[in-house]
Amino acid sequence: MTSHLDLTPAQPWVEITTQESDWASANPQTLENMLGQLHLIRAFEEAVLQLASEGLVHGPAHSSVGQEGGAVGSIIGLSTSDAINGSHRGHHQFLAKVINHVSQGKLDVTNLVTADIQNVLQRTMAEILGLAQGYCHGRGGSMHLQSFEAGALGTNAIVGGGVPLAAGNAWAQKKAGTRDITVTYFGDGAVNIGSVLETMNLASAWKLPMCFFIENNMYAVSTHVSEATGEPRLSARGLGFAIPSWQVDGMDPLAVHLAMKEAEEYMRNGGGPTIIEANVYRFFHQNGSFPGSAFGYRSKEEEASWRERDPLLRIAKEMIEIGLIDQAGVDSVRDQAVRACEIAMAELTQDNPTAAGKRMIRPELWPDTSFVNVGVRGDASELDGLENLEPSESKATTVEMKFVDAIAAVLDRRMETDSRIVVLGEDIHRLNGGTNGATKGLSKKYPDRILGTPISENAFVGLGGGMALDGRFIPVVEFMYPDFMWVAADQVFNQIGKARHMFGGQNAVPLVLRTKVAMGSGYGSQHLMDPAGIFATSPGWRIVAPSTPADYVGLMNAALALQDPVLVLEHVDLYQDLGQVPEGNLDYHIEFSKAAIRRKGSDVTVLTYLSMVKHSLTAVEQSGVDAEVIDLRWLDRASLDWVTIEESIKKTNAVLIVEQGAIGTSYGAWLTDEIQRRFFDYLDQPVTRVHGGEASPSISKVLERAAIAGVEEIVEGLAKIQRGMGGNR
Amino acid sequence: MPIIMRMPEVLANVTEAILTSWMVPEGTAVTEGQPIAEVETEKALVEVTSEMNGVLARYLAPVGSTAQIGAPIAIFITQDEKGVDLDAFLAQESITQPAAPATAHAPEIPATKSNNEPVETAIEVPRERTSERLFASPLARKLAKSHGLDPELIIGTGPDGRIVRGDVEKFVASSGDKTVTVQAPASNEAIPHSRMRKAIARRLTESKSTVPHFYLNAECNVDLLLELRRQLNQWSSTKVSINDLIVKASAAAFGDVPDANVIWTDKELLRFADSDISIAVTTEKGLVTPVLRGVNKMSIFEVNQTALDLATRARQGRLKQHEIEGGSFSVTNLGMFGVQSFSAIINPPQSAILAVGAAKPKAIVVDGQIKIANTLELTLSVDHRAIDGALAAQWLSAFCKRIEEPMWVLI
Repeated sequence: MTSHLDLTPAQPWVEITTQESDWASANPQTLENMLGQLHLIRAFEEAVLQLASEGLVHGPAHSSVGQEGGAVGSIIGLSTSDAINGSHRGHHQFLAKVINHVSQGKLDVTNLVTADIQNVLQRTMAEILGLAQGYCHGRGGSMHLQSFEAGALGTNAIVGGGVPLAAGNAWAQKKAGTRDITVTYFGDGAVNIGSVLETMNLASAWKLPMCFFIENNMYAVSTHVSEATGEPRLSARGLGFAIPSWQVDGMDPLAVHLAMKEAEEYMRNGGGPTIIEANVYRFFHQNGSFPGSAFGYRSKEEEASWRERDPLLRIAKEMIEIGLIDQAGVDSVRDQAVRACEIAMAELTQDNPTAAGKRMIRPELWPDTSFVNVGVRGDASELDGLENLEPSESKATTVEMKFVDAIAAVLDRRMETDSRIVVLGEDIHRLNGGTNGATKGLSKKYPDRILGTPISENAFVGLGGGMALDGRFIPVVEFMYPDFMWVAADQVFNQIGKARHMFGGQNAVPLVLRTKVAMGSGYGSQHLMDPAGIFATSPGWRIVAPSTPADYVGLMNAALALQDPVLVLEHVDLYQDLGQVPEGNLDYHIEFSKAAIRRKGSDVTVLTYLSMVKHSLTAVEQSGVDAEVIDLRWLDRASLDWVTIEESIKKTNAVLIVEQGAIGTSYGAWLTDEIQRRFFDYLDQPVTRVHGGEASPSISKVLERAAIAGVEEIVEGLAKIQRGMGGNR
Repeated sequence: MPIIMRMPEVLANVTEAILTSWMVPEGTAVTEGQPIAEVETEKALVEVTSEMNGVLARYLAPVGSTAQIGAPIAIFITQDEKGVDLDAFLAQESITQPAAPATAHAPEIPATKSNNEPVETAIEVPRERTSERLFASPLARKLAKSHGLDPELIIGTGPDGRIVRGDVEKFVASSGDKTVTVQAPASNEAIPHSRMRKAIARRLTESKSTVPHFYLNAECNVDLLLELRRQLNQWSSTKVSINDLIVKASAAAFGDVPDANVIWTDKELLRFADSDISIAVTTEKGLVTPVLRGVNKMSIFEVNQTALDLATRARQGRLKQHEIEGGSFSVTNLGMFGVQSFSAIINPPQSAILAVGAAKPKAIVVDGQIKIANTLELTLSVDHRAIDGALAAQWLSAFCKRIEEPMWVLI
């Protein structure tokens, strides 16, 4: 008979309930603040639902009616430098945080709506309606509400999508030596998604001062929490990650506040993350102004029972009992809130002249349509005035360096001169510089800024994103193989790639992502892609591809200086290459949007990058075609060197785009399209491409070679160009 | 076993020719050397003769069709093969009998020979160039338009016969760089270029623009020459002409100045032992220059007969190809039109041409006295690459000496 020992979780898991005494001993100002905020939010949400029912809210309106207690109770004690982010249902958290900020912890229920508060209500409403005066110039709407000034980092439309970003913010708060915390809000629907669970693990491993605040309203659209998980007591997850967890009645604002106070104590003292699960109820359906029972997935009785526990009713009752206010006072608070929202609505709407009795948005309040692409990325003006150097033209004395050593050298130099730079990735802190030696020597020099991550690409790149959005630190994230980006696709493309534009165009996202193309290494179908083609589809990302050690130094420096997310592409075939690097100078930049002509010629313009540059040059010598070989270096649509490309095509009248990888994810397709648009009349033959085959390269050596493009394929491409020139040249 | 007769290479470096007419009906017995068809190249109408004794069983090239050099044009059989199934034979040989002439030229299909053929992108399908669709690269169209050219005129050498930049550039270079589009008034007639017109245009443009011409003028007293002619024609049934005498005199002058009997090639000068001299014959179709071979070995009567025969056949379009090739020198005479003098363009690859004007009575000075004599003006155009000024002057002097003392023409 085996012996059993009951193992205990590493951290406590408790349920908190308030007693009478808690109410009696509560700070009256705190209660007054909570009462005021609860009413402002309730009136606001009702106004939004009203506007939605009139068809004036474009897209969904996810109301938080019924859930205000969880938001207000948890936020009321936070300072401006604490941060929150939330999900698609985030008006209540956003308003609580921003009202907190403008009211500086003091609401007067007899004069509730100050000018600042009126402004908050109006701008939030405007943002939800998509109007120019909103917090994100109308571009964010309900689901991308942001006010950095108030510590509201931004709501998120991807379920769980904001959670890794919150971790990044928390990391920055900790590293900066503050006692600040970040609270990330999400619901029972989000608690089961990878982003959330990965981040819980990461936050616990790295002891991040963040609170995972779960608003359990029991329904994800129409799916009940008991259907979606084996453990519907959602705070139980903390046990698995060694995170202390609290469960609390979310309809009791004081209970929530007191739970948060305990959690804050733990977090501000360096304990690490916490989980608070607040049981709440949304009185309406997932979006819009109908009750959920109208859609048949819950009963009217259930709804009625939760209505009786309305946090507004609860706090009023308790405050009246203590003698802090009377019913008339409570009614007055309600009236003031309702009136303020009516004023806000009146500012934003007008009578519809074509439909009697109906309202419409005031036409002059819409954003200018020319704003549509503003702020997709920065304008690169941050590179103005920086020291540029063109290695192939420089007369400076040089020293020979291996490519992979150049990576470590420039990262070392940047980390030495800029304490904001942080490098994160799998195993980069060990193995004498990660799996290829790219970070050699760095973890010894900068132990607290070289972070070896758990295998959670989504979480750790998202953490990097949150770090970049905060701005106090600059993350250099590594994906060990490019295909791993698929694992992190939401954070890479939906979050980092869109963050600047989505929230109105002003947020800098200074993040660098390094990865290495490994075709030829035998790692098989799931490790060997060239990610350039996919990243080129995301307009928020910039892409650089250095083909020499000296270019790597200059391009990495430029990438670190840019205020946009930049993919720095490496290649295993280049790591051992030797090159001449300017001696004693690791501070120069490669000029923005500048390609390098590696060989001048007059018969064809060869456009290529990374390891294919040297293969192209070899193929050109073999073929005898007088080709002009251009090393693109800057790959994304916005950074491509069109000046050099145009001059070359007008001279040669023929284009050969050369890349290594499979055709599906290939880079050259969009470039071909753009070239034929711009230079059709200068083309003497169709744009020709060299690329790999259909399937991902497999591990079998001969099959791998057959799947990718090499010198032989480039020679063939050049021969095709030659034939295309006809018999008279 | 039937034998396929193929289009012969009637002219160096042409790739195709037009089957202008069949001279014997299908099914006729022919002998070796018998002319059986007329074939037109850009320079001449040429007779094609049978290479065997047998029966010309079937035409494979219809009248008016263009055939590639080496393409099947007829089937020959022996007398006792008359019942053989020609269709089966053709099928066996994988020969398709072409239909009515199409203005198509089969383009080359580029062979894709690679070991690591990654992806079949577009399969290159050879295309017939029909009149409905012209294939030209965007750049070529733009260039053609800027030169005022109709792309239809240009032969494409790109894939599938596509007209590409190089083709337009070559066309522009060979047809002169300033092509002026002339707006023809409605009443004028537009005459499409014949092959011969195009050939003349091309060759003489090439000559004028690439050969460094220089010119020497002379005036000869031809009283004695005219008298000699009169005397000769008393004997001969055919009329010896001044031109015949000039041709003979030219050959004699080459005998005097053999260094002038040379032509220029890129590698070397070629010096000839004999004098092969071309005469210019005006025909309906255009200027033709048949060659008299070995004039230095001919009597004046032979020169006369040969020249007459060549001229006649030239006007009938019945010269053989070898009769219009070669020679180092041409004589061209517009005297019969009353032209006083003119400068001619050298016929490549020759090195000189003598342009002869009309013989006219003129006042000349002899021993300080003015006398009347018949003179004619000559202009010798010379290729400076092959013959320098002094050498040309020597030749001209020798020529004039012979002409003025014509006894020396006959010897």
